[in-house]
Amino acid sequence: MSDGRAWQGNVKARLYERVRKRGYDSLTAFAEARPAVPLYLLAEELGKDDVAAVQVLSGLLAEAEQRKQVTRFVRDVLVRELSESLPNGWPTVLDDANRGEVAMALGTWTAYTPTTHEERVRRAGAALLATPPPAGWRPLGPDDELLRMLLPDEEA
Amino acid sequence: MTPSPLLLLLACSLLTGCASMTPPPSRGIPPTPALAQQLSDEGPQRLHWRQSSRKTVPWADTRSTAGDAESGVVRDTSVTEQQNATGTPHAVRTALGEVKGSTHTLADALSKLATRPPSLGNRGLSGANGAFVRHFDYGFNQLLWLRGALGSASMLTDVASQVADSEMELALLRMSGPRLQASMSGAMLLAAWIDFLHLADVVLRECPAYSVEKLIRDMRRVQGLVEPSMAALASADPERVEAAARALPELMGQLTREFLSIREGARVAMERAGQAIAVAQLVEMITMVSAMKLALPRLPPAAPATFGAGLVVSSNGVMMGSQLVVSAEWVEMMRRLVQAGVLSASAVSAAVRIHAGMMMAQAHGDLPKGVRDALGEGPEVRGMHETGKAGAGMAEPPEHHVLPREFREWFEKRGFTGAMSIDQFCVRMERASHEAIHGGGNWKLGRTWPGEWNRMIMTALLDAENKAGRMLTRNEILKNVAKRMRDYQIPMNFIPWRGP
Repeated sequence: MSDGRAWQGNVKARLYERVRKRGYDSLTAFAEARPAVPLYLLAEELGKDDVAAVQVLSGLLAEAEQRKQVTRFVRDVLVRELSESLPNGWPTVLDDANRGEVAMALGTWTAYTPTTHEERVRRAGAALLATPPPAGWRPLGPDDELLRMLLPDEEA
Repeated sequence: MTPSPLLLLLACSLLTGCASMTPPPSRGIPPTPALAQQLSDEGPQRLHWRQSSRKTVPWADTRSTAGDAESGVVRDTSVTEQQNATGTPHAVRTALGEVKGSTHTLADALSKLATRPPSLGNRGLSGANGAFVRHFDYGFNQLLWLRGALGSASMLTDVASQVADSEMELALLRMSGPRLQASMSGAMLLAAWIDFLHLADVVLRECPAYSVEKLIRDMRRVQGLVEPSMAALASADPERVEAAARALPELMGQLTREFLSIREGARVAMERAGQAIAVAQLVEMITMVSAMKLALPRLPPAAPATFGAGLVVSSNGVMMGSQLVVSAEWVEMMRRLVQAGVLSASAVSAAVRIHAGMMMAQAHGDLPKGVRDALGEGPEVRGMHETGKAGAGMAEPPEHHVLPREFREWFEKRGFTGAMSIDQFCVRMERASHEAIHGGGNWKLGRTWPGEWNRMIMTALLDAENKAGRMLTRNEILKNVAKRMRDYQIPMNFIPWRGP
């Protein structure tokens, strides 16, 4: 259980010290080596009791901002969220319970999206529900074909 | 009336002055050994308990070595942690069921007492020109909050069983803890109070030499002793409940002394009035009080230190000499609840002390190590600190709503009311952590994501609802909140809001 240690000390220094200790020079490289692994598990690997998933999220965003790959980052966030919420892929039947599960995953995606992309992500989520992907669809990374159609890169 | 041999035996033992009230209630309150101790070794009550405690108990079977029955118990903690995952909900339900059982017994006893017609001369608790009505009412009022606390605790247990997140399930079970604790302690205290009502009834009916005015003063004094603790238990405030539960052994000790003093007063009054023959009858009538299966424990021992040292753990449960204090099943159930943080180790120890009659304030209020080991230790989840541990006068970190207060109505419409209201879902956080999750500090490396908790959680929930095209269920909300709390490393120890 968490005891709040993640919020003590220098968060950024701790994050990068752990990333370097695992042989990566960026959080992005660390995360790319672990495709479709939920954010909370990335955080757990970096520090079970003193690294929070949202700190990893924010760190990945910072690097994406620098590389001008924010849209790709946003797709990556959905991939990691779906792999936790829908481990068996897109549900075969969108009954009430499944629809709730999908809706929660998409809601979380919106909440974890930078303000610059929030509207696009809201629309993309709605589009996904309006025209559902095939049953069992399970994007394995931000370059998934369907995802790139849903939320294409804009950056140069 | 024709006294049974058992009652005569009881009457004799009461006359010896080694006082005791009570056989064990059938359920809920663990067996008080006091009465049995005064029976011969093969007394029927005691035999019954022994049989009931013979059932298979996990830890009793895995004890260190055979033939070492009276020593401490050695356990593999990893095994017990696994058991916790499945055992905790069951232990909470069992404990709640037992307290519900005792509450029914108490309600019956109270009703019978209240409806028992006064005898000739308007004597009896229901007579006396209504002088004792307030004492009945006091008892009935306690039943109201006891039922309320049990109802809320059951409801939280039900919600816990439905939420698809193990951390949240445990957190909800822990939320039921203060209510379970309050009702356990409250039932014990109410049982003691009903013992006093019985006592007063007998004295009024059988002991005209004892002045009614004096009895009125006695009962007011006793109610005055009971009231502060009972109010704390009824408050639903986890810290007040905890403090009252811890202090209950001392209070029970005080009440036992009061009980004996009234009984002795009645005896002396009758002897002075030359009614020596009636004394035996009076004592017998008071003995009937014990037959009501309520809860006053025995008189505190003269030498508590040596007394406490006599408590040992065996395969039957916690024993004092050859007497069973609490059964092995009860110990096992409590150990699970303590380990899961549902009940505190100190409150459970207090209950054991009451049943062992160890009610004096002791050096550390502690039980022998073997017994403490059997009860286990738990996380300090309620922010309770030993005096001085956290530094006297040092403010505790403030509590904060996890579900934003600005959306109180939104949550209410989705089932967050009563024991599940957003005021029940607060956490204590250090200032730095709190500021960080509300967007302060320097942790936000990415510029374009605010990361502020309230905004984030409401965006997630409102957008999810929009996508679902219907209201989210309470369980869906709880599950999502649990995951987001995990992502923010917010400790999942809920406490109720105490601010404005």
